Amino acid sequence: MRLGFILREAAKGLRQNVVMVVSVVLVTFVSLTFVGASVLLQLQINQMKGYWYDRMEVAVYLCDDTSTSPNCAGSAVSEEQRQSIEEMLKSEQLAPYIKEFAYESKDQAYENFLDQYENSALVDQVTAEQLPESFRVALVDPEKYPVINEAFSTVQGVDSVIDQRELLEKVFQLVRVASAAAAVVAIVMIVCAVLLTGTTIQLSAMHRRLETTIMRLVGASKATIQLPFIIEGVIASLIGGLLASGTLWLLLKFLVEDKLANENVGVAFISTSEIWLVAPILLIIGIVLATISSVVTLKRYLKV
Amino acid sequence: MIKFENVSMVYEPKQQNAALDDINIEIDRGEFAFLVGESGSGKSTFLSLVLREKRSTDGSVYVAGQNLNRIPSRRVPKLRRDIGFVFQDFRLLRERTVFDNVAFAMEVIGASRAQIRERVPDALKMVGLEDKARRKPTELSGGEQQRVGIARAIVNRPSILLADEPTGNLDRKNSIEVMNVLNRINQNGTTVLMATHAHELVSEYRHRVIELSRGQVIRDEIDGQYAPMTTVVNQDGSRELLVGDSAVEYDEESQVAEDKKDEDQ
Repeated sequence: MRLGFILREAAKGLRQNVVMVVSVVLVTFVSLTFVGASVLLQLQINQMKGYWYDRMEVAVYLCDDTSTSPNCAGSAVSEEQRQSIEEMLKSEQLAPYIKEFAYESKDQAYENFLDQYENSALVDQVTAEQLPESFRVALVDPEKYPVINEAFSTVQGVDSVIDQRELLEKVFQLVRVASAAAAVVAIVMIVCAVLLTGTTIQLSAMHRRLETTIMRLVGASKATIQLPFIIEGVIASLIGGLLASGTLWLLLKFLVEDKLANENVGVAFISTSEIWLVAPILLIIGIVLATISSVVTLKRYLKV
Repeated sequence: MIKFENVSMVYEPKQQNAALDDINIEIDRGEFAFLVGESGSGKSTFLSLVLREKRSTDGSVYVAGQNLNRIPSRRVPKLRRDIGFVFQDFRLLRERTVFDNVAFAMEVIGASRAQIRERVPDALKMVGLEDKARRKPTELSGGEQQRVGIARAIVNRPSILLADEPTGNLDRKNSIEVMNVLNRINQNGTTVLMATHAHELVSEYRHRVIELSRGQVIRDEIDGQYAPMTTVVNQDGSRELLVGDSAVEYDEESQVAEDKKDEDQ
């Protein structure tokens, strides 16, 4: 009975206050979309990390005729140098850091190159001779790259030591900036949404001051008096949250899955299934913020 | 039923003029009392203390045996269910019928549909409006609207009925209707406390009269009359003291104007 009453009152508030409710819905929608975008970009970074870090290795490039590094002294790596480098990789000192390592000859490097740039015009211009031989080292902990770098960068016959992850870091950096930008916009918009929800609830409370005065004096409980307003705010936010989730799903479907993922086969992208993680977060944020701003507003403007 | 013990109420601690100043009053179960006095004399403060809308800054207010300064906020709704309140301006919900206006007071405290169907007609019968249950408040006269307000105040069967200038917006005929209803409710055992400026009614109905002035009880008579002495400022600026109805009439007009000003703020 009382629950029915509370819901009817909330519905009445939503109807009486349509214009304000629509603006709350829209502002919440936009702010939660940015929250969701920021979260999705973070998920994308994690996805790429997970995908690439397993494949990313430290490459210890060996000298060839064209190398300019002082370690090479202008000549290609000798059989002796190559063996001593391999010894070092097997040594007790470095073994704890290394998961596995493999030697890649110029021919193998060329084959991998062909695989990677299958459709590129580069393939015609590159020969096996131009590609350096190398040791591919997979680390137990990829963060321990400096240990390998220190050990090999001054060894005779080593041209250079490259952490392939560093190349990726630049991409990640870009995505991180985009994610942070989305987060900043999200925070500003959330502040707007909270203030607007508060104002709307305040208006609604003023609108129904007669009802609430009567309710107060005949001894209605605080919950009966306040809940309709809180529910009003929460429903508006929920609609905003659902719109935001829908929009993000469309973006994932048509921009990420159908376009980006199709055009970049080698890259791991997030998919529409990620929405099932993000949407509940958005809805919860919407509910919590609407509840907080309603309660705070009612404390100030609705006597009980 | 209602007991004030050394009650003082100061709204702004910096200022010395208290809204209520060391009030001692006891109103027994089943009594009918008028609360009279000029605007600003403390009547409204008195009523809001009984309803626990405010807490007194000093002393103790007892209602139905409970010390209102001691009970926690969450018990206040329960206290108010035992107090009916009648507004000067009726405060009816325009879009609801007479029946639904009265039912509203039951709905919001969680009464069942069956209880509402049983009690609302009783309350309407008590105020003589049982045949107007389906009407909207706008179709009723002022006196009838106020009787709907009274039906709403008593539908939860409170043991105390507070009325704040219930006849303030009504002409004499309608005022008498309302007074008769309040008397009938009082005869059924409900304690009635009515704040009013209506000197004729007070003098006619002969109940207890408690008069407040500047926050103090200056008169408390069983069987009292509305017989204030009022300073009147003449147009030429001189002052004189008038006793009886002529003073009251003047006084009432100026107070109605003041009340309106209060509401506008």
